[in-house]
Amino acid sequence: MAYDDTWLIVPVYNEGPVVEGLVRDALQTFPNIVCVDDGSQDESAECILRAGAHLVRHPVNLGQGAALQTGIEYARRQPGARYFVTFDADGQHQVVDVQRMLVRLRDGEVDIVVGTRFHDSTRHIPLTKRILLRTVVMLSPRLRMLDLTDAHNGLRAFNRTVADQMNITHNGMGHASEIIDMVRRHSWRIAEEPVTILYTEYSKAKGQSVVNGVNIVFESVLRSGSRR
Amino acid sequence: MLIQYLLLIAVGWFLVFFLRHHGTTRAAAGAKLCFVAFVAFSVYAVLRPDDISVLAHWLGVGRGTDLLVYGIAAGFACASINTFLRFKELEVRYAQLARAMALRDGTSGPLEESGDLGQHASDEA
Repeated sequence: MAYDDTWLIVPVYNEGPVVEGLVRDALQTFPNIVCVDDGSQDESAECILRAGAHLVRHPVNLGQGAALQTGIEYARRQPGARYFVTFDADGQHQVVDVQRMLVRLRDGEVDIVVGTRFHDSTRHIPLTKRILLRTVVMLSPRLRMLDLTDAHNGLRAFNRTVADQMNITHNGMGHASEIIDMVRRHSWRIAEEPVTILYTEYSKAKGQSVVNGVNIVFESVLRSGSRR
Repeated sequence: MLIQYLLLIAVGWFLVFFLRHHGTTRAAAGAKLCFVAFVAFSVYAVLRPDDISVLAHWLGVGRGTDLLVYGIAAGFACASINTFLRFKELEVRYAQLARAMALRDGTSGPLEESGDLGQHASDEA
């Protein structure tokens, strides 16, 4: 299958050690990759260009949510872009999972496919992470209503409709809940796809901490209060 | 005590009001009116502490000082929320500005060995 109409959006913040290999690897399948360098202080930008991806650079660090939005806006300006995939730069995500998600999108039954790591055995997920993610789902009526099991999976694939309407305003990590909120507001058809998350030492060191969960919950509560 | 209910209702109402109407002219005017009322109340409390004590007594608070403390606590909560929302708003604008710059200078690799990054970006633009 040709993926000329698909754009991979990779937010990058100080991922110098891994990003070049990741981009080279993904480019073998997906010819269109845009990396958003979120004000990295290391050599991430040079690595991205060397690997041959498109590069957009935030002049200052804004956060992952802002980087995703920038990447989406860049990708949707590109001629022929029909499918969009958000993909983490720390090597957690697999190209084969993306391919499966795209098959479902192309079928036209759904607008957005999000990855879930909660399927079959969940032993490979670190315990604290498992508890945190389960709690988020338990506390969120929206997630339960949409029948979703994994709120904060960075792997998502969506079509043009979703990309055009996507407007992430939470610069930090609160964007995952914000996207779920948009699903409900815009009535996007959503589905989950089981994916494998590789918890390497590198990605574990960079991943979201439990402490960050507090920030996410606080921001979500205020956001639901401030809806006009 | 009457004051407890009054305070809780007032603070709750203010929070909802500011959250829902933040950024509108009405909310801005409301915040300014609250501020003026707060200053007027403080000045009055300094000039006529006995009146405040009477008022406190009516409301079921022991002393005028307590009433003032409650008022300050409620005012502080509102001010904090307002500041938080203001910061959020600025953050969004700041992100939009940075995004506009980033998108303008977007480029694609691979990087030429000779040229530096900034040069490369402007060549493409």
